[in-house]
Order: sequence, then structure tokens, then C-alpha cells
Amino acid sequence: MRNRFLILILVLAVILVCFTGLAAAQDDKDKFKARYDSNSENKEFNPHDFTGIWMMTRVDHSLGAPAPPLTPAGVAAMAGRVADSRTGGNGNAPWYACNPMGFPRLNNDDEPMEFIMTPEKLLQVFQWEHRIRYLWTDGRELPSGQNLENLGPAWYGHSVAKWEGNTLVVNTVGLDERAWLDNAGLPKSFHARIEERYTRTNYNTIELQTTLYDPEYYTATYVGGKKTYKIVPDEATTYFGWKGLFAGISEGICAPMNEVDGYNKGFRDVGQAKPKQ
Amino acid sequence: MRRISILLFVLTVVATTLYAHHGRGATYDMKKRITLKGTVSRVDWRNPHVVIWMDVKDEAGKVATWGFENAGVSQLAQEGYNRNTLKLGQEITAVVNPAANGAATGIVVKVILADGSEIMSRDRGQNPVD
Repeated sequence: MRNRFLILILVLAVILVCFTGLAAAQDDKDKFKARYDSNSENKEFNPHDFTGIWMMTRVDHSLGAPAPPLTPAGVAAMAGRVADSRTGGNGNAPWYACNPMGFPRLNNDDEPMEFIMTPEKLLQVFQWEHRIRYLWTDGRELPSGQNLENLGPAWYGHSVAKWEGNTLVVNTVGLDERAWLDNAGLPKSFHARIEERYTRTNYNTIELQTTLYDPEYYTATYVGGKKTYKIVPDEATTYFGWKGLFAGISEGICAPMNEVDGYNKGFRDVGQAKPKQ
Repeated sequence: MRRISILLFVLTVVATTLYAHHGRGATYDMKKRITLKGTVSRVDWRNPHVVIWMDVKDEAGKVATWGFENAGVSQLAQEGYNRNTLKLGQEITAVVNPAANGAATGIVVKVILADGSEIMSRDRGQNPVD
């Protein structure tokens, strides 16, 4: 009885974590607007061509909607994860030590992402981590059963994509459980499936909606909110050195000697007040 | 019941996350601004954050080196700054949110050059705190 009571409290706490994180995300709504809004929405475009550099319009590192309650296994998987706090105290998100953010957390980052399209796959190149994600469009099947068990977990999973009308539907499985779903530390199981639906609605805009199917860790399907990408104008990414960038997205590599030795020890820990009691 | 209240309070505090690539906790006093005048002693032009180091003399002539955090390389580059925007020995005035515990660190609000021009200015929408 006592255990059930504790689980109930933890489930409530997880819901609270999600709502609070979303509220904080609203603050930054128009932060990057000036950087992507110079292109005309009326330009002609091919809805099946995502080529270009894109950036989310809002800083919101979650799936963009409150998560359903966790199962007891989900609560257990989240144990020990501590988010950063404004009132003192550092969280223990894996990326603070330059471990991969993993999917879908990196997808919900506020740095640019480039789509590169080939006949058999799309590549997503993320500025942060300088990471490549492969979305296979050559008709191969999503790994399942023994095939998936043989492949094992990957930070960014295994992804296949197909077009449904003008919407690119991407499914990903085989995710590494050590990567957090978002900044609050929500979990996802190895047997989860994540579906992304990308639709280019005009020259400037791609809309994304993400859904997590994970009955091991969640009591219901986690339906994410709509996210919006805007295309980054060419002139913002082609500098040829004289402005400090060469071309394309830049090298946002998280190097431990910069992040851990330089930033964490040199700044974060040096100036930090003690957490309030 | 008291235990539940305490637990929920603690989790509320924990849930108020900073949206950053790294942990920051309460490193800076974001409600406070201080102004420091000195000379640039080093610029670390790198991710996750560009750092400006500056030598500041106190009234007794004693020099202390301060370090100031900025946005990352790509952000500052897209705003037109580069590795040589500030030069070693250059006199600048830095307006910063200081470290919460009084250490000689801060996060840049803006840098004022000798001719009075302001660069890397958060007040003008540049150099954001992520």
C-alpha cells in the first residue's frame, strides 16, 4: 500500500515536471524570429523537397505537450535523473558531460538542422554535436523482433521514412535508454517507437508532430505538440570566413575539454551560489 | 501529508529547468548588472561559449583577471563577430551579470568599446543567454 502511494506521488511529480518545463519554454517564443524571417512565404516550393537549413521557432526541448503518466517501470527508469534548477544545483543530464543528446532530444534543440536529400535516404545534419541522422527512404523495413534485438540500442535509433501525400512519415526504433527524452529526464524504452510527421506547408515552413509509442514506460501514447521549423536564409550561413563562419551550419561539437574542463569547472561551478534550503 | 508537500516542493524547484546545452544552476545573479573597465587579456573563441578574459585594476593598482561567458561561436558569428573582434590589450568596458557568489566571473550583457559603441549586446537582441 505504501509503495503504491509513493508511485502515485512520483507519477504526479513527473506530470508537474512536464507542465513546468512547458511553461518556461513559452518565455523564448520569438527569440530567433529575426534570424529566419527574411524569406518570402510566397516563393514556389516542392513539398517533397526539404533541402536546406532549418531552425525551430521556439526554444522548447520537450515533445511540446504534457506527457501521460509513467508506468511503474517508467518511474523506475527515471530514477536518479535530476534536471538543472534556477535556484541552484546542477542537473545530471548526460549531455552536460558531452554524452549524446540522442533522439528525439536533439531533434528538439534550438540550433539549426540541415536536411540533405538523396534518392535512397534523407540526412539530418544537426549543428549541435555536428551529428548525422539517417532516415532511409529506400523501402527497407523498420527493424523488429529478433532483428531489432540483434541490432541493439543506438543513441539515435534506426529510422525509416516514407511519404504519405505531402507528409514525410519517419519511424524510429531501438533507442538507447540512457538518453533523456527531454530536459526533465523523461525516459523511453528500447522497445519504444517514435513517429515523426514532417509537412512543408510553404517555402519558409516545415511543421513537425512527434508521437511516442512506449507502453513499457507510459500509460498512454505520448502525442507531442506541433513544432514549426523556418528555413534559414542562405545569406545567414554563407560567410566565407570573413564573418567568422565558412558556410553551412557550424561545428557545434561538444568537446569534453571545452565543456567539462573549460565551462563546468571554469564557470558553472566557480560562480554558483549554494542551493537555497 | 507534510512529507508529500516537501516532496512536491522539491520537485517543483527541480522542474524549473534551464534550457541549455549544459548545466548552469544559479551561476549568475541575473537581476544584477556590474560594469568593469579593463583590458582584454585572452579570448577563447569556442563552443559551448565564447569566453572573454579581462584584466581589471582596482583602486590600489592590483590586477585581477575576470572571465566573461558569452553565446557560442555560431551565434556570435551570425551576428557579425569573429575571433579577432576583440584584440589583446584592447581597452573595453564590460557590463555583466556577475557570479552569484562573488567570484570574478560573469555573463556578458554588452561590451562597450573605447569609442562608445556597444557590441555583443543582449540589450539589442544579440549574444543571448541560452
